[in-house]
Amino acid sequence: MSKLSNRLWFQLHGWCSLPIWVIFCFVCLTGTISVISHELTWLTNPASRASNPQNLAEKSAFELVSIVKESYPNAKVSTVMTFEPYLINAVIFTDSDKPFAIAYVNQYTGEIQEVNQGITFVNFMRSLHGWLLFPWHHNYSIGYYLVCAMALVMLGALVTGLVIYKRFWRAFTQPKLRLKQGKKTLLADLHRLAGVWSIWFLILMSLTGLWYLVQAILWHADYDIEPHSPIVAVEQLPPYKTKIPIPPFTLAHALAIAEEKFPDFKSTYIMLPEHNRDTYKVYGEGSFTFYDQYSYGVVVDPWTGVITDQRTPAQMTILQTMSHIANPLHYGTIGGIWTKIIWFVFGVLLTGMSITGFLMWGSRTVKAARGNTEPTAGAITTKQYATAKNTKLTEQEIR
Amino acid sequence: MARAKNSLWHRHKYKINALVLILPIYFLYHSLFPEFPDAWGTKEIASFQITPAPYDLEPPYLHDGHYIKDFMLTFSQGNIADIRQAYLNIGYAALPLTTLQAGDVGILHGSQHGQEVHAIAPAVIEAGHKMWLTIENWQGKQIVTSWDLPKALLP
Repeated sequence: MSKLSNRLWFQLHGWCSLPIWVIFCFVCLTGTISVISHELTWLTNPASRASNPQNLAEKSAFELVSIVKESYPNAKVSTVMTFEPYLINAVIFTDSDKPFAIAYVNQYTGEIQEVNQGITFVNFMRSLHGWLLFPWHHNYSIGYYLVCAMALVMLGALVTGLVIYKRFWRAFTQPKLRLKQGKKTLLADLHRLAGVWSIWFLILMSLTGLWYLVQAILWHADYDIEPHSPIVAVEQLPPYKTKIPIPPFTLAHALAIAEEKFPDFKSTYIMLPEHNRDTYKVYGEGSFTFYDQYSYGVVVDPWTGVITDQRTPAQMTILQTMSHIANPLHYGTIGGIWTKIIWFVFGVLLTGMSITGFLMWGSRTVKAARGNTEPTAGAITTKQYATAKNTKLTEQEIR
Repeated sequence: MARAKNSLWHRHKYKINALVLILPIYFLYHSLFPEFPDAWGTKEIASFQITPAPYDLEPPYLHDGHYIKDFMLTFSQGNIADIRQAYLNIGYAALPLTTLQAGDVGILHGSQHGQEVHAIAPAVIEAGHKMWLTIENWQGKQIVTSWDLPKALLP
């Protein structure tokens, strides 16, 4: 009974992983690269580096927008994004000959180091990892569901893996990696060792992945997790005039409001008004470590200078909190570059586990297939033979 | 022979899922070389020369409780700054400005280089529906114009 049960768990482990192992491996690999995509950009593109040899003070987003407008007088800036301190700020704008452009502005020197009109490596990797580039049909993407479904099989593989690996905790105290006892032993040791040491990571990826699945369903159901901020009431607009009025409050004012309201505020994502009833949206990071870099923010009316909406972790609903803590845990940004490195290493282990898992199955299958071509005694059927062999292997696997 | 076939299937069945990964290459190609439907006719109204282009020819979709349809409007003449507010809706007639300005759906936004809009639309487009553009300028004057919908959008 015990053996049968073990075999069933072992089969379940295979069913969770083998039919989709290549997709799973690809999602793990692209996710692993995504974790360090900013750093890879820094390494490969000198124009993305915010070098500051003269130790200059950081310029505000308002100043960076002015710099872009000086260089491109017809530019209409829509967004300013801030990343790690060693990377430039991205000022997104349109121009008469540029439908979509990203100015890479050094926030210390104020120099525009590149104008990118194509895709960025960071966005490409995150799109490839998040939804395999499947198109979005407004509020859903089949690729996004496909990737989210990996959370279910990952959780299944983790649970079944721990059931069949008896006394798995010994891998912490007595890690075993036998290098000289053949390929099969090495693969099995690698797979189990990586698996046990990655338990925390597998749980984290599965749970955040399940949240992404919930989020995808909510999006698909047109449920608004974070309702849009209200636009400026038409009564707040200046009355009819012969001269075109200019909003009296600038982005500098909106930034000052945000900094005054949240003591540790650092802006990361700014949207400028796109029509006369639109607002300044200044989002950023604050003192809560586990929340993402958009967890604080103010929405400011450019005509009156008044805050029309705000965002803080303390005021978030459960769903909003989930949506703001999932990414730092999934991509390992909670502690800066050091946690990113840890996430990257475990991402490599996870990618490797799907490969070693398949190779373990492969070596067994090849052996079984060879066995099938050998003449067998008439009384033993192929099914019986395979079952016997599987039982043996199951015993070996769980030892 | 059957055994050989079975063996071949058995050895390679778990590699079939790799075929899904051809799709990202296909989708990447389409995103690099996107195709959009033809722009609709250019209209001259007041100081503006406007050309709308739909993002697709699919039916309207539900977003935040409203049915909408996405367009890009190119203003080849006229100054966007002259516009106080402007809205786009699909239906039998232009919605009154008092109705339009009560919400934020259907408002034109963007820049001189292109105005995007999530036009207010019915759940199902019917014969006789048109696309209506309502512009209010800073002097309080309202300008309304319309475009016939292409056959691909009509029932």
